[in-house]
Amino acid sequence: MSMIRVENLSKAFGSLQVLKNVNLTVEKGERIVIIGGSGCGKSVFLRCMDLLEIPDEGSVFIGENELTSRKADLNRIRRKVGMVYQGFHLFSHMNVLDNITLAPIKLLGLSRAEAEKKAETLLSMVGLESKKYSMPEVLSGGQKQRIAIVRCLAMEPEVMLFDEPTSALDPTMVGEVLATLRLLAKQGMTMVIVTHEMDFAREIATRILYLDEQGIYEEGTPKEIFDAPKKKKTRDFIHKMKYFSWQIESRDFDLMQMQGNIRSFAQRYGLDEKKANRLQLCTEELIYEMLNYGRPGEVVDMQVQISFDERDKCTVVGLRCKGGPYNPFEMAADDEVHLGVTILKHTAKRLDYRFDGENNYLEIEL
Amino acid sequence: MNLEEIIYKTLIEGDSYKTLLKGLGVTLQISLLSVALGTLLGMVICALRRSRFWAIRNIAAGYIAIVRGSPVVLLLMLMYYVVFAGSDVSATLVAVAAFSLHMSAYTAACFYSAIHATDAMQVEAARTLGFSRWQAFTLITLPQAAQIAKGTYQSTIVTLIQWTSVAGYVTITDLTRVVNNIGSRTMQPLFMILVGLLLYLGMAYICYGAFALADKISLWRKKRRRTA
Repeated sequence: MSMIRVENLSKAFGSLQVLKNVNLTVEKGERIVIIGGSGCGKSVFLRCMDLLEIPDEGSVFIGENELTSRKADLNRIRRKVGMVYQGFHLFSHMNVLDNITLAPIKLLGLSRAEAEKKAETLLSMVGLESKKYSMPEVLSGGQKQRIAIVRCLAMEPEVMLFDEPTSALDPTMVGEVLATLRLLAKQGMTMVIVTHEMDFAREIATRILYLDEQGIYEEGTPKEIFDAPKKKKTRDFIHKMKYFSWQIESRDFDLMQMQGNIRSFAQRYGLDEKKANRLQLCTEELIYEMLNYGRPGEVVDMQVQISFDERDKCTVVGLRCKGGPYNPFEMAADDEVHLGVTILKHTAKRLDYRFDGENNYLEIEL
Repeated sequence: MNLEEIIYKTLIEGDSYKTLLKGLGVTLQISLLSVALGTLLGMVICALRRSRFWAIRNIAAGYIAIVRGSPVVLLLMLMYYVVFAGSDVSATLVAVAAFSLHMSAYTAACFYSAIHATDAMQVEAARTLGFSRWQAFTLITLPQAAQIAKGTYQSTIVTLIQWTSVAGYVTITDLTRVVNNIGSRTMQPLFMILVGLLLYLGMAYICYGAFALADKISLWRKKRRRTA
């Protein structure tokens, strides 16, 4: 029996289609981490699982109960699903203990003594038993979030949803919340987590979902997604790819302007002086080699594409050049006419050439 | 004339203090009834103001705007000389009706903004734990809104008590009217005005005191539960 089943879920806000025909099955004990760029709908997707957003189409099942059914006893089904927010949202007029015991007393019918005993056990699990009489406003963000998690746990949920649980915390407090999540993972809790903490995602997830293009764009184990993403957008996201492209349409194109833009691109992503210079030099050599010795024809149609991998800090310069086949990299390394090629061969880690019948594709990795 | 003579003449002679107490009683009666009814009506208006239906929401908003925007005296005279003209409802009840309307508009606005100021996400958090909409409202929104509304609410009450001083316009012998009567009869208006001021001030401070006491008690109960 699956824990959560989402079928053909669609959700739009006005004319903005956020999710379209999304399907997902979460099995008991799975730890799903949802990643994706801002505005890709990952929070909306998570909130749909607890019907905090009403899907336009599709259905959501918790266990065997359909949450989206008109007859569903929403309040009863929600007891099984814990939700932890980015902004904690502790009940601000109650102390920690009351925050935790309110729901078990009112909804599960526990006596105050039973509920408090349980709350104390949970609090000591997250190391906050000494704070049981504190009001939320005196707690730090990390403490509040741990209390928010305990508040959910007191209802003994079967699955927990985390909506960017560490995004509102300052860096010194992220660790204590992640430690709590690890503890839950160890206890076999089924979890669905939306997060930007990639290292944590890799460590804790049994499955990663990358959301893009209104749905689950790619999914796989952490190893598959982080080490060998199959699709382009996933790769771009994981490697934090930054792109620069420049179109060249004539022999006397504005070299200075292009160089200026490459320079600011390099600066923006923190390439040092030496690397920026090398990038500019290699790009220039590549272009002039093709302009002078390649066969671009009457109408010049070239495109420079620089990609910078912010995760692995590597830069690739690509050049597409329309015209007859010409592979500059075949030149002997000490050819004095093709000095540019010699330079490229000395600086690049990798040189690739490809011709598809119409365009030459050159690629060098710096 | 020295002070003792003035006091004797204005308050003792001819059992004037009894008349004064009677006037005070009328003022208290009108005030308490208006506060009670006005608060209840205010809650209803506030609920309507938060209705999911556009029309109801706007009718409530319109009511608040109109009643808050009109002088109490005119409201009172409208009730007495137009709405209840020719009926045998007593002037005091008409006054209670008018002041209740006034009070309801102010409390509705006060409660509405207090509820608005609470954190809607805490309600959502309560819903995710399994609380119904109503439970979340009574357990989370209401206590927090009450805390926010308290200050404005108690000054609304005090203001209402003072506003009842215009009840004399519709033949009611309230505290202000009595003070005025005795003052002119004994030729001691200044002294009687001071007496009147002190009595209104006393009522205001009893009201503030009651709220402060309620605060103390709830704090004490919280502490006791903690040590138990």
